[in-house]
Amino acid sequence: MAMRTNPFAAETTMKRWRYTLCAVLALAAMPRPARAAAPVIDWDPAYFWMPGATFDNMPAGGIMQAVGTISLFGPPLDFLNVTMPATEYTFYMNNLSSQGTTALGPPGTTIYQTAFTGGTIDVYADPTPDAVFAPNPPNPQVPGTFTDVGPPILSGVFTSLLVTTNNFTAFKTGNIEGDIQWTGGTLIDYFKPNGGAACPGLFTGGATWNTAPGVGIPGYLFRHDGKIDLQCPVPTQKSSWGRVKQLYR
Amino acid sequence: MRRPVTTLLLAACAALSVVPAARADSLLFDYVGFDYESPNPNPATFGEPGSGYVGLGTVPFLFAPLVSNTTLNEYTMVIQCQTPSVIPVGGLEIVNYATGSVTIYEDSKALGTTADYAPNPPNSTVPATFSDGTAILVGTLTNFQLIVDTSNGVGSFEAVLNVTGGTQLGNFPADQRTGWTFSGTTGEALNIPAGYAHQIDGQSFLNGPTAARRISWGRLKAGYR
Repeated sequence: MAMRTNPFAAETTMKRWRYTLCAVLALAAMPRPARAAAPVIDWDPAYFWMPGATFDNMPAGGIMQAVGTISLFGPPLDFLNVTMPATEYTFYMNNLSSQGTTALGPPGTTIYQTAFTGGTIDVYADPTPDAVFAPNPPNPQVPGTFTDVGPPILSGVFTSLLVTTNNFTAFKTGNIEGDIQWTGGTLIDYFKPNGGAACPGLFTGGATWNTAPGVGIPGYLFRHDGKIDLQCPVPTQKSSWGRVKQLYR
Repeated sequence: MRRPVTTLLLAACAALSVVPAARADSLLFDYVGFDYESPNPNPATFGEPGSGYVGLGTVPFLFAPLVSNTTLNEYTMVIQCQTPSVIPVGGLEIVNYATGSVTIYEDSKALGTTADYAPNPPNSTVPATFSDGTAILVGTLTNFQLIVDTSNGVGSFEAVLNVTGGTQLGNFPADQRTGWTFSGTTGEALNIPAGYAHQIDGQSFLNGPTAARRISWGRLKAGYR
């Protein structure tokens, strides 16, 4: 028996092809599965200082600074080896301007948040290892021994930075996180995956104002254990129609 | 006769008497990784009743009394906590967990399985590729407390660490098995794999032993005059 031609069949088939085509285009533009990447820069430790500030009150207009020693580089800087004793990698943050501290919550569980504007970060490769977290900065060693051989391998400006502390954690722990726009340095091209603008950086990690020996150092406000991630846009992958179909066979 | 005996006993006590002195905490290990909830009865929230916290990652730096060889081995850690309770503070949450544990594993790079943050854990790869190998340190975590901004996952956690087991337990003197851990968390990193909640980056400290200081009988008595 001959099949009766459905007047809507051709249209239905056409619609199916259109939907399929749309799906193919969407798949072609879909981000590739992101596998966890190592941080581009990891440190332990960094120490912050800010004259006149306490963990729960960083007065507006105050300037916060920090120095740190880098313990690990990840891609695309994983060719830098921090275990080579001939070179130490350090960074210096300066000119972070406090916008004042805001308190949230009841007296027993108060959380303090302090936003900072401005601020710079410079990363150094120093062939004369000498960095030391000398107490009570600034002093002849801090930040001097963290910045003593230029030019920086990376330079950037902070587009935001937020310090979160509290009055109830037993070990006096909180968080410092910010965003970095990279602007220069001898290795900045490694942060430009497509030759365009440098990928932004995410500065993140835990902070403690614990003054116990071995943890805190007199004259510093925070010890920070953190890292910087490169926030590159997730890449897309071009694909052919045949390859996409293969995925569903 | 009594007097000489009493004097002798006091002298012996004085000779053995100790005065606590402050000793420095020491860095024990540093870790970086991601966390997720399992079980996770409500994926839209964190710390809901019935959920469990799992943090896992690599441990690139280990310090004495732990003994490591990061050239030959991969070191990974798994944190697990249960029974959360939440206190909201503005747009943030304080999540307190009742019980917890941390284990560090040593796995041969040549013969073992590389840790893999496969998406949407738990699955056949996670936490299995982090919990294979030899458990060199097993510890309990108490007072595990997470503070997190619910809008972006930015926060921190801390806990008391007690080393209770593992193949390197014997490296820890009996009076130096307690410490603490803290970590930053963030949900802002673009490299967080699907199904994980936060990136974590933290470290653990070992408390210094309760130190003893020799003191003379005269000085001890002077302290009470």
